[in-house]
Amino acid sequence: MDGPGKSTTLSGTLGHDRERHGSGTGTQMRTLLREMVTTIMDGQSDRAKEMARLIGREPFTRRSWSELSFLTIGAPLAAVGFAFVVGTLFAGMVLAITFFGLAVVALSVRGARGFGGFHRQLARGLLDEQIEDPEPFIPRPGFFGWLQSSLRDRTGWRSVAYLALKVPLAALGILVGFAAWWDAFFSITYPLWGGAGAGNRVAVFGLPQVLLGPGFFSAGHYGFLHGLGVFIAGIVFLFAAPWAVRVVVYLDRRVMRVLLAPDALTTRVRTLERARAQSVDSSAATLRRIERDLHDGTQAQLVALAMRLGMAREKLAAFADEQVGGRTDLDQVRQLVDDAHRGAKEAIVELRDLARGIHPPALDVGLEGALSTLAARSTVPTGLTVSLHERPTPAIEAIAYFCVAELLANVAQHAHASHAGITCTDHGQWLRVVVRDDGTGGAQLSTMGSRSSGLVGLTDRVHAVDGRLDIVSPPRGPTVVTVDLPLHA
Amino acid sequence: MTGPLRVVIAEDSAVLRDGLVQLLVDRGFVITGAVSDPEALRRSVERDRPDVAIVDIRMPPTFTDEGLQAAIDLRRQHAGLGILLFSQYIETRYAAELLAEDASGIGYLLKDRVADVSDFVEALVRVASGGTALDPEVITQLLGASRRTQSLAVLSAREKEVLSLMAEGRSNAAIATALVISDGAVEKHVANIFTKFDLPVSQSDHRRVLAVLRFLDS
Repeated sequence: MDGPGKSTTLSGTLGHDRERHGSGTGTQMRTLLREMVTTIMDGQSDRAKEMARLIGREPFTRRSWSELSFLTIGAPLAAVGFAFVVGTLFAGMVLAITFFGLAVVALSVRGARGFGGFHRQLARGLLDEQIEDPEPFIPRPGFFGWLQSSLRDRTGWRSVAYLALKVPLAALGILVGFAAWWDAFFSITYPLWGGAGAGNRVAVFGLPQVLLGPGFFSAGHYGFLHGLGVFIAGIVFLFAAPWAVRVVVYLDRRVMRVLLAPDALTTRVRTLERARAQSVDSSAATLRRIERDLHDGTQAQLVALAMRLGMAREKLAAFADEQVGGRTDLDQVRQLVDDAHRGAKEAIVELRDLARGIHPPALDVGLEGALSTLAARSTVPTGLTVSLHERPTPAIEAIAYFCVAELLANVAQHAHASHAGITCTDHGQWLRVVVRDDGTGGAQLSTMGSRSSGLVGLTDRVHAVDGRLDIVSPPRGPTVVTVDLPLHA
Repeated sequence: MTGPLRVVIAEDSAVLRDGLVQLLVDRGFVITGAVSDPEALRRSVERDRPDVAIVDIRMPPTFTDEGLQAAIDLRRQHAGLGILLFSQYIETRYAAELLAEDASGIGYLLKDRVADVSDFVEALVRVASGGTALDPEVITQLLGASRRTQSLAVLSAREKEVLSLMAEGRSNAAIATALVISDGAVEKHVANIFTKFDLPVSQSDHRRVLAVLRFLDS
């Protein structure tokens, strides 16, 4: 190696470079080489520093201690849980010829659920592992109902499986993780007491002992070098221990996620229940909005209209009765009829807008036609690209349409855009609608939502059919909103 | 009553509010205020002491029954203030709440009724002078919901018509005009109804409204 400060770890790379450029001669070559080395060194040293910092800090982080606590508390709990499950299941099998056998097995499953709960709480508290609670145990009425529900409780049986797996996991934890900490502690303190007297033996066990051999720590090897050796080994253990613990805890996390979390079916049912509730709420909200629009708009318009016509009619009647030239009255009548006429036209427009809000007639022709109407009506120049191989179901078309309508309204109101674009394509069983604009950006669902409650309602409708609505809107734009919907809901 | 009737209007729909003002001014009423929410109504009544208030039931902020609550409060604070509730829908519960204490000077009409201008104005005047004006729809609902079906069955068709009009709050003369029969005939029908229902005969129109409603509701 030429030049100071070059670490041996780089020799392989350097050697390789030198080989390749070996035929070249002169200072030119050497300068080039030096530059390359410097470049590599800088990059490498940054990464190395980062690594060193990570390793150096690890034994003292909260996470490492939490994980160690998890192993320490979890191990006896695992033993108790395993003993319980094995004991009760065994008793159940022994009693299987009688009716009590089933009852004991049911008890075992119920108990396992409880133990599973402990472990889940432990993981949540110490590992910050957010495992959702499974659905609560709701037995059917009566003792036989309870028995049946317990025996068929999937969550309970999965807890049994976890308790069975937890024992080897705990054993591994003690052997590898806990042992590493233990050995680190005794090896580091060894110089303080190890040489104090003959017959002191370091209580070393687990993986370190396997690695170093049983004779390494045994009494009889005294002297400064030996003490130093043990001390250094202890330091190495200290920095390796958190990682050993982490590996074991990682395995445990994986197993817990599978066996202690609600199973996939339950999760799916929950999602669907939530979606259904959302769609029920959103349709109720839609109906309420329509009622209010009718009440405040068209109904009021029509009442006022009828009132003016009523006044006009009475005035005309009075005019006919009098048979005299009441010109002022006739002017009033004309004014009333004019107002009524205008009111009728306004009511028609309001009613048309409202009807379109409920179901756009353009959708009957198809999504493309409806979207082109929207694009044409938009105040911001809007391009439209539609490429669909099959027609989505009407409900999906309606949701897609209202999303685009709402998004275009948002673009017109808030984006300060000069151009917008709608793309509508299908990918397999999915319909993808993208609305983009070249406006100011910075749009979020929450801020858009506060401006238009319509969009929040739409997100609910999108979720209700298992769709997604994503907004990408960096400051200064452009904003791209992607709506994915199943073609057939 | 001396001078033109003084009216305050509380209605959140501008179209309708303006229309009502136009109609009532045309008919010679004095509009002391035209407001769009219950709070403004309270202030307006406090300030101008009108004879009668036309109150929309559904108003801001929650668009449920603010108008009704405001009306009930106003009744307690201002004896003699007539209140004509005005709504797109008839809810019997509202009528019951409103008439719980007293039927004098109370009206409850569908907004549609304003199209028959003379009837509407007549109802407003009636309410302002301590009478009652209930929408035919209210009476229909009460008759439909009444458990006194047996008692109602003993009434003749004509008597039922008279009962409905009476319950709306109309005087004998008004009933006679509406049904195109003589005053005497109306009096006879009314007396028959009271006898058949075993109710004490009452002279004032609004008292007998209450009597009939209580009977139907009991």
